[in-house]
Amino acid sequence: MQKWICIICGFVYDEAVGMPAHGIAAGTKFSELPEDWICPECGSPKESFEVQE
Amino acid sequence: MSSSAPAAAGRIEIDASVFNPYSKDFIRDPHPAWQRLIRDYPLAWHKDLQMWLVNSHALCDQVLKEPRFTPNFAAWELAPPPKAEADKTDFDLSYEKGFFAVSNKDHLRLRKLTMPAFSKPVMGKIDAKIRDLVIECFDAIGEAESFDVYETIASKLPVRAISRMVGVPTDQEEFFHEFAVNIIKATRVNISAKEREASVALTKPGFAYFKAQIAERRARAHPGEDFLGSLVGASDNGETLDDYEILSVLFALITAGSDTATDLHTFAIHGLLSHLDQFELLKRQPQLMENAIIELLRLGSFGKMPFFRFATEDIEFHGQSIRKGQAIGVNISAAWNDPARYPDWQRLDLQRRLDGNLVFGAGAHFCIGTYLVRVQGSLMIQEFIKRFPNAELLDGTGNIDYDYKHHNARRINKLIVRTNQTSLQQAA
Repeated sequence: MQKWICIICGFVYDEAVGMPAHGIAAGTKFSELPEDWICPECGSPKESFEVQE
Repeated sequence: MSSSAPAAAGRIEIDASVFNPYSKDFIRDPHPAWQRLIRDYPLAWHKDLQMWLVNSHALCDQVLKEPRFTPNFAAWELAPPPKAEADKTDFDLSYEKGFFAVSNKDHLRLRKLTMPAFSKPVMGKIDAKIRDLVIECFDAIGEAESFDVYETIASKLPVRAISRMVGVPTDQEEFFHEFAVNIIKATRVNISAKEREASVALTKPGFAYFKAQIAERRARAHPGEDFLGSLVGASDNGETLDDYEILSVLFALITAGSDTATDLHTFAIHGLLSHLDQFELLKRQPQLMENAIIELLRLGSFGKMPFFRFATEDIEFHGQSIRKGQAIGVNISAAWNDPARYPDWQRLDLQRRLDGNLVFGAGAHFCIGTYLVRVQGSLMIQEFIKRFPNAELLDGTGNIDYDYKHHNARRINKLIVRTNQTSLQQAA
């Protein structure tokens, strides 16, 4: 499980936690999110995310 | 000003009789104009301002996320011609390297390299410095029966907070303040070219100061772990930030975090004391603070001028033909009060679900100063609640005055709060 950070706003998507309130179950990999998924904080596309080290 | 583009057939047009951000009536109560714009003119060409105005929440969201609408001033049809390299000032060179001007690819690179400077460890140190400033402001109020929020807090905190963040010593704060004011004025398209150039000239000593600071950090074995040191030391796969890129970050921080934060303080206190049920709620549930800051910004809607974008190509947008080079005013203050998005837009609701809000913008140019504004606002409100839990607006209104000539905001420059400390002491 990885964490992904939006380099525009700093929002972190944690695969282990998912986003249950947004219908994304815990354990959902970042790659499994729809291609048109956007950062819930700033609206940036998936390309704006990188693996958080 | 005049537009090079002829009026197009079918173009929806408005003028200052519909939206005049400089009128006193609008500044005192913008909502009738905004509601009319949202309802009747979600997208229209403003003949007097010579720009498109985008007013509904849905359209503002689209424009902010559309890369063909750039914030780069150089793309504007009325922008002054490009300068020869030899004539460029530090301001010009920083702007060219900055978030608003570079390509989408370089913008992501800049965001990535600057991210460590906005990381929790760096910001944690800044929190402590800002907390000291907040306490100083409230200590100066002491046991007064009433005080002016603008004079004591809003006019003092924001620029000082940024100056602490970037490591400016206390005795240089006035100097930094002048630099910040001129940086902001130099970026405004709603003032004359002559005024803009005058402001650019006045930024010269500030740029010289920071260039010297950067050089001093580069000369050290380690540039330091504070904000400036993090920028100087930033590295990703061999990529680093050059001097003008670092200056462009300071530039962005100043434009995003000083003027806006000034208005945050006055409008936040005004919002809370105008909705005492929500003030009580926040006292009982301080965990609502982060949401409260966003909701108070939304309700305050203090920007009188829209955000600016410029079309990089001819674009058909919701039935209107936007021509390359035309300016687009993204009227986000109106959008924050769009009934289609917020049916009860007049109400302060600190528990409101604010997913997808546009309070800090959206898309690639999402506000870089968000963290600073949130921290500063939270610390100020926490201290306000601690010191003056029974505060009220004087005479129920706060005897508000506005700076009607402010270049960008519906700037409140007087807001009187009754502290009610005496009644507290007597009760004790």
